[in-house]
Amino acid sequence: MKDITEKLDRAFNPRSVAVVGDKMEMGYMWLRGLANFHGRVYSVQIDENELPGIEALGVKNYFSLLDIPDDVDYVIVAVPRGAAPKIVNDCIQKRVGGVMLFTSGFAETNTEEGIRLQGIITEMAREADLNLIGPNCVGIFNPKIGLRNALDQYSGDGGNVGFISQSGTHATFFSLVGEVNGIRVSKSVSYGNAVVLDSADYLEYLGEDEDTKIIGLYIEGVKKGRQFFSSLREIAKRKPVLIWKGGETAEGTRATASHTASLAESPLIWDALIRQCGAIKVDSLDETIDVIKALLYAKPATGARVGLCAMTGGQSVVITDAFAKEGLEVPLLTDRSYREFATFFNTIGSSYRNPLDISSNLRSTDNIIRCIDILSEDEMIDTVVLELSMVFLTRLSWLIPNLFDSLIDALTLYKARSNKPFITILIPAHAESETIEARKILVQRDIPSFPSFERGAKALKKVVEYYRHQNL
Amino acid sequence: MVIDKIIGTAKKEGRPYLTELESKQILKEAGINTTEVKLARTKEEAISLSKEIGFPVVLKIVSPDVLHKSDAGGVKLSLKNEKDVGKAFDEIISSIKKHEPTANIQGVSVQHMARPGTEVIIGMSKDPQFGPVLMFGLGGILVEVLKDVSFRIVPLTRRDAREMIREIKGYPILEGYRGQDPANIEVLEETLLKVSDFVENRPEIKELDINPIFAYRDGALAVDARVILEP
Repeated sequence: MKDITEKLDRAFNPRSVAVVGDKMEMGYMWLRGLANFHGRVYSVQIDENELPGIEALGVKNYFSLLDIPDDVDYVIVAVPRGAAPKIVNDCIQKRVGGVMLFTSGFAETNTEEGIRLQGIITEMAREADLNLIGPNCVGIFNPKIGLRNALDQYSGDGGNVGFISQSGTHATFFSLVGEVNGIRVSKSVSYGNAVVLDSADYLEYLGEDEDTKIIGLYIEGVKKGRQFFSSLREIAKRKPVLIWKGGETAEGTRATASHTASLAESPLIWDALIRQCGAIKVDSLDETIDVIKALLYAKPATGARVGLCAMTGGQSVVITDAFAKEGLEVPLLTDRSYREFATFFNTIGSSYRNPLDISSNLRSTDNIIRCIDILSEDEMIDTVVLELSMVFLTRLSWLIPNLFDSLIDALTLYKARSNKPFITILIPAHAESETIEARKILVQRDIPSFPSFERGAKALKKVVEYYRHQNL
Repeated sequence: MVIDKIIGTAKKEGRPYLTELESKQILKEAGINTTEVKLARTKEEAISLSKEIGFPVVLKIVSPDVLHKSDAGGVKLSLKNEKDVGKAFDEIISSIKKHEPTANIQGVSVQHMARPGTEVIIGMSKDPQFGPVLMFGLGGILVEVLKDVSFRIVPLTRRDAREMIREIKGYPILEGYRGQDPANIEVLEETLLKVSDFVENRPEIKELDINPIFAYRDGALAVDARVILEP
């Protein structure tokens, strides 16, 4: 698989990028997206009317890719579909490192013309061994070098999570939603119709990529099925791989056909394949984010027993149901723990069997921390879960100024000294804006938070299953 | 090899379906424990083969044209003596002639009636994207109505075999539920691995169905099998 690194290196880490066919109508989104690119940027546009706009961006324009007096590592193509074969041919002549076709209107339209054009570019690229990404995609995002595929994406510090997506929206949403949740992308690629390079190739590339510690995939269909199976089986042994499969229903399959011209695949076979390879199955962007967050920011959760700490009685009941429904265990604690609780815990309006309801003990940060310290030290408990409700913390802040800040400081210290996985549940209720601010602070402190008991429970369950599979 | 010969013959005759006899010979070559089957072309042959194999026996029609043997009256179970066998032979032939008048009848197969065990099935079919896929489940109504089956893509590791057996909801039945005899799980795992090995090396096989396998405390026995070749 070392070869794949060599094969795709220029495309993923380009030093020069050419954009073919960017225009005012698109807000020059591709050229503007390269504003922070660490390398040389060229434009190729034959429409004279577009030239002032391109020059205003400080980008040099050429009338043909072949006129650029420099090597071109990566090409972004946004021309109408009829011009695609000519541009692909120019890319072959120019010996570029890779070309991404934003251009759509191919087999996914199920029209004679679309299928014909897709056939032409596929054959040309295969024959010349051209790294063609797409068509019908947004290509590569490499934040470290400022190569972006949406204007609102970050650049600068890259992260450690790779993302491979058949959809451009899911690729960009992953980067954006991930960022506010403390998940940053190492490299991602959106690859559309996958006529030449398929998910298996990108998976192998990110499998070898040293910056990438975790890989997520959004897949509508595979073309190189056997290669995908054997690569996934090998890579999932070394790095967590999450698979989110689009088109799991008959109705969804109809959508994948017109989105990326993917064929129907049996969800039963996909489930078996994911399990067999030790990958993690996720069903949505939210779940992808949740599981990666738990993998990145909680210590490896290998056991199914949780110690649950809720802020009120009602929440202590539903947090327990949520975790138990996922098949996680909520055991009673050891006598030693109960004896310790008895020394300080105010039981009027509260309780500490497991789950804990700490409503009457909320006014002292020390007592909150004492509760989760006891859970950490209890041998019956594998993972500690704490509910943080901005509704109650905000109410109490009138009484105890800085309660939230001092609690976060104490939780940061707790996380550092505890040897058990720790997650928090940050429920917005109606205090949505306060919760967003609180999440930002938790992200800064590397404390994983989930917006509902159910999402936290599901993520933890997936992570426990993953580590169990790894350790068997 | 026997397998090449069987496949070669079927191809030459332009038929994708192998008979039970051929399918079981193939399984035997693959190292899978199956009931010994012999072909009888006449009633007399059926009787003498039955004596040789030992009663009770089962007679089944052997014809590449009859796919649903039971429905066409082509299967007779629990035949305890020569008289039963003779009568069953005649009944099978006349029933097939009535149900499938154009069927090419090669004869009737004779096999020992296996002692009952927990019925399981192992199947192989090809997924257009991922190639050969194995299926495991409990036989009879559990597979047909409840679809209580598990899948793995070939090639299987031992772990895959172990997990796909334990994954089905009916697994406690194999462990011996309420005093029922438990099945030898290890032998079932071995059987899955042998099927995986075999189909991996035989791309000319399109589908394979071993239904049922009788799972016993001390082993497993493939009682019926069907192989379909690639066109």
